[in-house]
Amino acid sequence: MKRFGAFTALKTMDLEIRDGEFMALLGPSGCGKSTTMNMIAGMESPSEGRITFDGADMNGVAMGKRGVGFVFQNYAIFTHMSVYDNLAYGLKVRGTPAGELDRRVKAMADFLQLTPMLEKPSAKLSVNILQRLAIGRSAIVEPAIFLLDEPLSNVDAAFRAVMRTELKHLQRQFKQTMVYVTHDQLEAMTMADRIAVMDHGVLQQVGTPLEVYNDPVNLFVADFIGSPGMNLAKGMLADSDRGMVVDLGVLGISAPLEPAIAAAARKQAARDVVYGFRPERVALAASGAGLAMPVTFIERIGARTVVHFGDGEKRVKAVFDNDVAISTGETAHIAIEPGAARLFDAATGNAIRGA
Amino acid sequence: MKRSLPFEVFRYAAIFLALAVTLVPTLWMVSMAFKPIAEWSATGADLTWWPKAPTLDNFRFILGTSTSDLIVALDRTAGKPILASLLSAVFGTLIAMTAGTAGAYGLSRFGSGQNLPLALIQLRLFPPMAVMIPVMIMWAFFGLVDTWWGLALIYGIVTLPFAFWLMKTFFDDMPREIEDAALVEGCSRMRVFLKITLPMMRPALASSALFVFILNWSDYLIALLLTTREWVTIPVYMASLSSSMTGQLYGAKAALGLIAAVPPVIMGIAIQKHLVRGLTFGALKQ
Repeated sequence: MKRFGAFTALKTMDLEIRDGEFMALLGPSGCGKSTTMNMIAGMESPSEGRITFDGADMNGVAMGKRGVGFVFQNYAIFTHMSVYDNLAYGLKVRGTPAGELDRRVKAMADFLQLTPMLEKPSAKLSVNILQRLAIGRSAIVEPAIFLLDEPLSNVDAAFRAVMRTELKHLQRQFKQTMVYVTHDQLEAMTMADRIAVMDHGVLQQVGTPLEVYNDPVNLFVADFIGSPGMNLAKGMLADSDRGMVVDLGVLGISAPLEPAIAAAARKQAARDVVYGFRPERVALAASGAGLAMPVTFIERIGARTVVHFGDGEKRVKAVFDNDVAISTGETAHIAIEPGAARLFDAATGNAIRGA
Repeated sequence: MKRSLPFEVFRYAAIFLALAVTLVPTLWMVSMAFKPIAEWSATGADLTWWPKAPTLDNFRFILGTSTSDLIVALDRTAGKPILASLLSAVFGTLIAMTAGTAGAYGLSRFGSGQNLPLALIQLRLFPPMAVMIPVMIMWAFFGLVDTWWGLALIYGIVTLPFAFWLMKTFFDDMPREIEDAALVEGCSRMRVFLKITLPMMRPALASSALFVFILNWSDYLIALLLTTREWVTIPVYMASLSSSMTGQLYGAKAALGLIAAVPPVIMGIAIQKHLVRGLTFGALKQ
């Protein structure tokens, strides 16, 4: 737990990061992910609770002695030094012999394609190269834990894609334990072995990218993960001759539930629920079938097309292929693919899941 | 951006006025330094910008190599006052910058509360004269009157608030991540300060030091009160350049003024690239 005065930045949470794992801390700004990171690094100490590395309590251990590497969002390059000296810095502080130091600096420069600019002053490098250098400077000492605080948010979009692959490559090659703070779910999804989703200082869910995407544990994760997020419609559980259904009042339909979910809902005696389904799991249905809704807005984003149906409370987003034959103003019939539905308790926001 | 004509006229008029106010006296001093005694107080048509008979006599006179036709003989040359000014201003600047930088760093990184920085500048709230009387008594007690080190000490104390405030804003602006990055590598705080922070602050140190040096270099009042004879500084010595027979020795004063302008100008040129507080304050995008 971390408090700043009366403000609690981070509520008590339990997060285990495994050896050699790429863990992404994902959440909107102010969710406590950077605070978590700073406490792992030792820049801040927890108000309550413990941080342990390999079972050893890190409380009171100076950050220089923890064996962590830290890459900052704004690079924090020593601009009065050359690229070589920046890379060599950590090794020099640790008193590495000159021969080994030189060999490792050159190997790292090679790996990050910095060799041609080794002797250049670092002050004049481009933003992209600076961040690459910052990553190299931290990685070279092969820290026990490599912490990266939104390292790619200042570099340009094309380079971000390159760096995503490079970072993942680096992590695999050195079997490096990495903790990666980001608000960009694409980065978390593509690189992380597991994602810890956070909001308002509370750890919401930890899981593999697919787990988090397919089975969000609550409404926040359902809405936050995915682009666009999950469709969430308010409804009421009702019994019908088809078994338990969700009466989606505003949408004017009743959706059937899978037996496992229905059983769980019955067990919890839930009534007011939120019915969720991924926009990717919406399909166009034959005329007369499914749900008839007006097309209000179409976003064509290259490979895919995001279509918005209806408005206000009565709203559904869907993701189709880019050549979908649909235009604004017309009424389309849509259907939710079987097995796509997720159910949440409207009062607590938690998922109602079958065992 | 497009500006209206009256605005442009006004703008250029303002620039011209500012230039005239600063440049005319400076150029007049340069001209006067090379004028022979006959031209010093010329009037009417005899008053020219360019010396009619340029001469180095004024410099020879104050440096004591020749009295030429100046009638009066100086009881001493400008050599010692130049030395006095250099020693007191340089060491005064060193004292102010060392203490100011250390204090500013400490307060910028670990300080809490705002009273201390303000208290430091309170020294400037009093009229210098009010502060100087007790200082004179103390300096006399410690035997510091009429010594260059006594002068350097008081210069260091008086300009400390400036050094402190300038350096504090620079330290406040420096991203802490750069220091954290070195700390995380296992560097000690002292080593971070000496090997990372200070080298990166070179531009800030240079421009602050120049500012402090100019304050010390151009002081008249303190030197007048704390020196008597042995270690008078350039401004004090300059004030003495007159005689009952010839009145003010304008040419000699101008020559000395020109010499006095040399150190700040050289320093200014040397650190010119640092003077603009550049974007190079660590590679940082806010």
